[in-house]
Amino acid sequence: MTQLFGAIGIAGTGVTVYRKWLDAVSDNIANLNDAKPTSQAAFQARYVIAQAVHYGKGDGGVEIGGTALGDPNGRLVYEPTNPIADENGYVRYPDIDLGSQMGQLIMAQRGYEANLSVVDRAKDAYEAALNIGKG
Amino acid sequence: MSIDAIAPVAGLTAPVLNLGATSAAPPASGDFASQLSASLQHLQDMQTNTDNLAVQAATGQLADVHDYIIAATEANLTTQLAVQVRNKALDAFNEIMRMQA
Repeated sequence: MTQLFGAIGIAGTGVTVYRKWLDAVSDNIANLNDAKPTSQAAFQARYVIAQAVHYGKGDGGVEIGGTALGDPNGRLVYEPTNPIADENGYVRYPDIDLGSQMGQLIMAQRGYEANLSVVDRAKDAYEAALNIGKG
Repeated sequence: MSIDAIAPVAGLTAPVLNLGATSAAPPASGDFASQLSASLQHLQDMQTNTDNLAVQAATGQLADVHDYIIAATEANLTTQLAVQVRNKALDAFNEIMRMQA
């Protein structure tokens, strides 16, 4: 069943998804340099999985289908001065590429803004319809 | 060359005022008054939802800023639509009242 002012609600689901993507990227960047002992798993990067709501039927929109996690093995770095280094002098860092995260950050921000401009345009369009016969 | 006659305009049988109500208001059938009250109920629900989100924003529990703004925008548009329909209905009523016996 189509909803009244559907475009606004659908774009709103898109904004929510991009907000969660932004959250995931900021989490990944915040934990970029978390050193862990080699006996423990490294911080796992978070990747959101977006999927359509009732694709082709229903109200439309997008939702988060789940979160995928990165490699728990991370990468081993030789840092013998680190207090948590093992006997061979290695610590475990998360396997996150800052450049890739920055690229995702820009995409998430642009997607967020794109959905908000859909909301804005839809509002203007609906208001134009409501102005029919005014005055 | 013959020109086809203009087809008659189909009657306005579709529900006049169904403000996007999905479950609250059954579409079609029902007289104008019941449809109007169902639509106003839908509008009331929308306003209540917006109020709740405003309280969440004030108390810092709001997860998504845009949720509140979008709810407020939709409530605003729905109110405008209800006012427009009210104006049109009132115009029709006044027009009939102006008729001479």
